[in-house]
Amino acid sequence: MDFSLTPEQEMLRDTASALFSREFPSSLVRDACYDPVTDGASVAAAAFDRHLRPWISMGDESVVDQCLFMEEAGAAITRAPFWSASALALPLLRAVNHPDADRLADGSLTATVALAGSTGEWIANRDLTKMLVTDFGLVDIVVFVDAGGNTREPEGGSDSADTDRSHTDSGDGSAGLGGEALVWVSPAADLEARVVENLDLARPLAEVTRPAMGDHQPRMITEADLHSVLERASVVLAAEMVGTARWLKEATIEYVSTREQFGRPVGSFQGLQWKLVDASLELEKAGAAVYYAAMCLDADDPDRHRATHVAKSAAGTTARRWAKDAMQAHGGIGYTWEHDLHLYLRRANAADRLLGDSAWHMEQLALDLFESGQQHV
Amino acid sequence: MKLGWDSEHESFRSELVSFLETHAPPEALGGRDLIGTDTGDIPQWARRWQAELFDNGWMVPAYPPELGGRDADPLECLIYAEELGRRGIPRSVHFGGYAIVGPSLLEFGSEEQKALAPAAIRGDTIWCVGMSEPDAGSDLANLSTTAVLDGDSFVVNGQKVWTSYALHAEQCFCYVRTDPDAGRHKGISVLTVAMDSPGVTVRPLRHITGSAEFAEVFFDDVVVPAGNLVGELHGGWRITMGSLAHERGGLWVDGVAAAERAISDLVKLSISMGRGSDPVLRRQLTELFVEVQSLRALGYKGFASFAQGSSAPEHSYMKLASSELRQRLYETGMDIQGSFGAITDDAAAVDAGRWQHSWQVALAATIGGGTSEIQRNVVASRVLGLPRG
Ligand SMILES: Cc1cc2nc3c(=O)[nH]c(=O)nc-3n(C[C@H](O)[C@H](O)[C@H](O)COP(=O)(O)OP(=O)(O)OC[C@H]3O[C@@H](n4cnc5c(N)ncnc54)[C@H](O)[C@@H]3O)c2cc1C
Repeated sequence: MDFSLTPEQEMLRDTASALFSREFPSSLVRDACYDPVTDGASVAAAAFDRHLRPWISMGDESVVDQCLFMEEAGAAITRAPFWSASALALPLLRAVNHPDADRLADGSLTATVALAGSTGEWIANRDLTKMLVTDFGLVDIVVFVDAGGNTREPEGGSDSADTDRSHTDSGDGSAGLGGEALVWVSPAADLEARVVENLDLARPLAEVTRPAMGDHQPRMITEADLHSVLERASVVLAAEMVGTARWLKEATIEYVSTREQFGRPVGSFQGLQWKLVDASLELEKAGAAVYYAAMCLDADDPDRHRATHVAKSAAGTTARRWAKDAMQAHGGIGYTWEHDLHLYLRRANAADRLLGDSAWHMEQLALDLFESGQQHV
Repeated sequence: MKLGWDSEHESFRSELVSFLETHAPPEALGGRDLIGTDTGDIPQWARRWQAELFDNGWMVPAYPPELGGRDADPLECLIYAEELGRRGIPRSVHFGGYAIVGPSLLEFGSEEQKALAPAAIRGDTIWCVGMSEPDAGSDLANLSTTAVLDGDSFVVNGQKVWTSYALHAEQCFCYVRTDPDAGRHKGISVLTVAMDSPGVTVRPLRHITGSAEFAEVFFDDVVVPAGNLVGELHGGWRITMGSLAHERGGLWVDGVAAAERAISDLVKLSISMGRGSDPVLRRQLTELFVEVQSLRALGYKGFASFAQGSSAPEHSYMKLASSELRQRLYETGMDIQGSFGAITDDAAAVDAGRWQHSWQVALAATIGGGTSEIQRNVVASRVLGLPRG
């Protein structure tokens, strides 16, 4: 597998890096959500409109390219429905040929997807009345995914419990889908919702009451296509988490190289050095795993399912580890509201729990590994 | 970024695969940990196999045919490592000769010394590498074996330790102190020393596995011709850095391939031992799988920088990561066996004691070639740029 970047990919990465560091200082999210000022939310929204809307179409590009962009996004904390719209909603609407896909891609519409029920599981299930939705309040439309109507029972169907367990459970959040699902769109303004405060104030969460499908003209999506969409969203989110971890790492190395105690930089103490070396190794591995998964998705390689679970769990684990280790290495200063570290700590710990946390992705892998192991014993 | 390589490189792969399939001896297959036969000697089949690889241009592919290669490019070298790694085939059971001595002679040696390289690479001459001493392990620059120039020869006195294959080696690539008054790194030189020289005594040391693969080597007024100096007088420190430079991009492949084989065998082992639904074990194996897969991806990422001629920080991580990972994998193989995990008797043990044996062998991997602690120090200062203590 060839990890070298084309000149276009290098340029994309550099452009994204410059864009986020220039246009999205942390003051933007602080003013919009952490220490709100009167026009904070509208300034943040204006920055999104001007600088990120044109990039929502990344959801139509190769997964590798979108990851390169999102890794840079993760190194800045933004309050914008960017991942929801470009990595989740756009590929989903594209997969069902929904006309709103074009409007998302040209930047005239923003969207998010209602997938997670109130238990936090990322499943498509019609029976759930309360849905947890990311970036609600920042988007124009919400895309709903309903478990298929004309095939098996979504939950607890007698034939699905043991015999076919890996197939019904391993679908990246689509447990009990039963072959196919229905995708339909509702204007956000029509929905009844309650804001659910979460760790990451810059990626707001709301509990949306699922409306009746009514005359919303659903479109059919196969289980396999829905998997592909969710795999893409997971890998792109993993790339974002790698960027978040990278910011934490760079901030930490800079700090421990200058902060002195006992007459020397604290970063010269071996105990602290080895902690950072081990965490850096884990981050390097996670970063590589994410781009490997992205290449698998682009090539539709058979390893794509496993590679996605590896990438999402490795990235989530490393982002959370870096949040904790960065906090420890900064000492008291890192625990202050003024320091940006907690913005990243919040994002890392919240992002890992989107689209299935690391433990969930590992359980999916275990199902797959042990099923294929069984066939070879 | 893309998954596959171009077709030209794939034809290199198929030529190699058909050679391996028709020529590799059964003893070489399956990734058994071969280092260390009971008496530390080198089995006949391994000697024949190394010579056969050399004669067919498959020993060090980047070298020209007269040095056992076929002028392969970096990607072909990687493919080579992949295919041997996948099958668990070693090219030699004593890596010192082809991986350290041969390349160092070619890079730093005189014309006469360069002429010794083909036999070192083909395995016709068995070499040992004398670096470590009782007071110079991780701190190699503290070595104190002396060589005093007296007319047209050196007189060598001192002791080496942990010297692999010393018992059967004909030559020693030996690091000595030639200027005791210069700085620690400045007074070191390299000599080639014939192991049958008067005054050389080898006392075998046994590994924890029982194999006498390494030894202590004593030098008592050993007379070495001045022409055996490799490179410049007092210039030996540079030579410690030399080895198969063109293969550096793929040195990790073997360890990762062994780890990949181990993880899929561990899953099968846990199922066949009736523990396939033990949630703790499943989680443990899945975490290991995630590590193996991401380490493999990291290796390829490092290769991409290497092939473009940039330094690859990834490689500093690879030895550390893969040696520690393999220890955990093999130990898990013992854990799955429960109370039987400590049985090493070939006939009674699960998988003929494979996990127990590999675990013991793998314990050396975090010590030899720079300990894990030293690797962490290196990453801290050279990769992360942290201030020195
Ligand atoms: C199977 C095997 C084969 C070998 N073959 C050869 C061979 O052919 N030729 C040869 O020359 N040598 C050989 N060696 C020796 C090997 O290179 C040394 O064992 C190794 O460099 C470590 O040195 P040491 O054993 O003296 O340990 P020490 O250097 O004494 O280390 C003891 C402990 O202290 C730690 N430590 C040391 N310095 C630091 C530091 N700065 N910071 C933190 N921790 C530190 C080490 O990591 C280790 O845990 C072989 C070793 C093994 C196990």
